[in-house]
Amino acid sequence: MENLLHTVVLMLEGTQVTLEIFFITLLLALPIGLLASLGRISKLRPLSLLMEFYIWIMRGTPLMLQLLFVYFALPMIGVKLPDIAAALLAFTLNYAAYFAEIFRAGIQSIPKGQYEAAKTLGMTYPQTMRRIILPQVIRIVLPPVSNETINLVKDTSLIYILAMNDLLRVARTIVQREFDMTPFVVAAVFYLAMTFVLTWMFKKLEAHYGKYEN
Amino acid sequence: MGNMKTDRDVMLRMTGIRKSFADLEVLRGIDIEVRKGELLAIIGPSGSGKSTLLRCINMLETIDDGSIAIEGEFLAEKGEYVSGDKARRLLGCTGMVFQQFNLFPHMTVMENLLEAPMQVKGMKRQEILPLAKELLAKVGMSDRADYYPSQLSGGQQQRVAIARALAMKPDIMLFDEPTSALDPELTGEVLKTMRELAEEHMTMVVVTHEMAFAREAASKIIFMADGNIVEQGNPDEFFDHPREERTKAFLRNML
Ligand SMILES: Nc1ncnc2c1ncn2[C@@H]1O[C@H](COP(=O)(O)OP(=O)(O)OP(=O)(O)O)[C@@H](O)[C@H]1O
Ligand SMILES: [Mg+2]
Repeated sequence: MENLLHTVVLMLEGTQVTLEIFFITLLLALPIGLLASLGRISKLRPLSLLMEFYIWIMRGTPLMLQLLFVYFALPMIGVKLPDIAAALLAFTLNYAAYFAEIFRAGIQSIPKGQYEAAKTLGMTYPQTMRRIILPQVIRIVLPPVSNETINLVKDTSLIYILAMNDLLRVARTIVQREFDMTPFVVAAVFYLAMTFVLTWMFKKLEAHYGKYEN
Repeated sequence: MGNMKTDRDVMLRMTGIRKSFADLEVLRGIDIEVRKGELLAIIGPSGSGKSTLLRCINMLETIDDGSIAIEGEFLAEKGEYVSGDKARRLLGCTGMVFQQFNLFPHMTVMENLLEAPMQVKGMKRQEILPLAKELLAKVGMSDRADYYPSQLSGGQQQRVAIARALAMKPDIMLFDEPTSALDPELTGEVLKTMRELAEEHMTMVVVTHEMAFAREAASKIIFMADGNIVEQGNPDEFFDHPREERTKAFLRNML
């Protein structure tokens, strides 16, 4: 019993690393993804192409490879980041690309008439985006963003390979030391708890933004 | 005063308007003039350039050649639009109502009306509220202020769209087939709202297929085909004694 308690305390520390990666990635990747999607649909051809290229790379290669690249390859060309920063860089760039595609699809699903109505009422492009387009986009993208966010919780376990003491690695260490599978079960429960809370939050958000129908 | 009208009465003057989409010339030198309080009805077969003409007035499309003057000031001269504050001010003189209503679906009826005055004119909610309520009453939608557009019939949505445009206090209202997306039994209520606007001497340009409405409410009819004005005149003369063969053929099909 005492043993289990000890295990749980150790794993809570691991969970802290996991949550840190999760929250900071989400906080950075959402706005960067939004900017990237605006760049992607921009009429500035070079900007749009650049964003298309970035999204193509990020979605076309494994996140694991991107992590290894930032962690091991960048130092070889003289860029040495602290462990956590390296992990955050890779996660943020990767998730921003996925969010960018979700936002782009959302923005492009808003009928042209919405822009035209706003324009004939005298609204500027930034006003139109902020007040008319994005609030409607949020409602459309909430389900796919919710999916990606839950994926992110689970993807944080990839930092396992970077020798950072996240939830999964802590569990694995204890399992190896004590020849006891309980930590894996505890880890599963922790991940489930996190995804459960997220699912619940997104349900609330969807209800809030779903007051109206199209 | 009588029927004497000076140039100052001219709210909208378009001269020599030309416009092409790629190889297709959609407007081939259009001249129109709308005076204060007039209702100009534009009719014509599909693809004749009616919508494009209307959309050039508020820069949803841009002309290639010709001039547009709003209340005596050039919005576009020799194919070039003015820009900046002047453009914004002149565009603010017009309001537009679309075939598809284009209400903001995430806002209630009242929010739809308040949005532009608050964002564009920087007015406070309290300042604009009286006008918004008055306009909703005018279009018969007072009891639906807190509804979302999806909870309204097409006719109701279009009346809200009219009120929304009016909330910006335009001098000229542009209508692009405002009843074409409506079930026949709902067109009447929208046409009634428009007729009331006309009776209050709002200056209006209306693209429509509603011949009865055009005849009864318009001060002048323009018949367009293939990017040209084929014939124009006052409603009685136009409908009773059309001169051109194209007009006669079109009217035969419509009536
Ligand atoms: N954005 C565009 N790009 C290319 N062609 C266009 C565009 N908008 C309109 N056209 C073409 O220009 C012509 C005139 O179109 P317009 O919409 O002005 O006609 P209309 O008289 O309003 O017709 P309707 O009664 O069907 O609404 C049509 O042949 C149409 O296909
Ligand atoms: Mg049209």
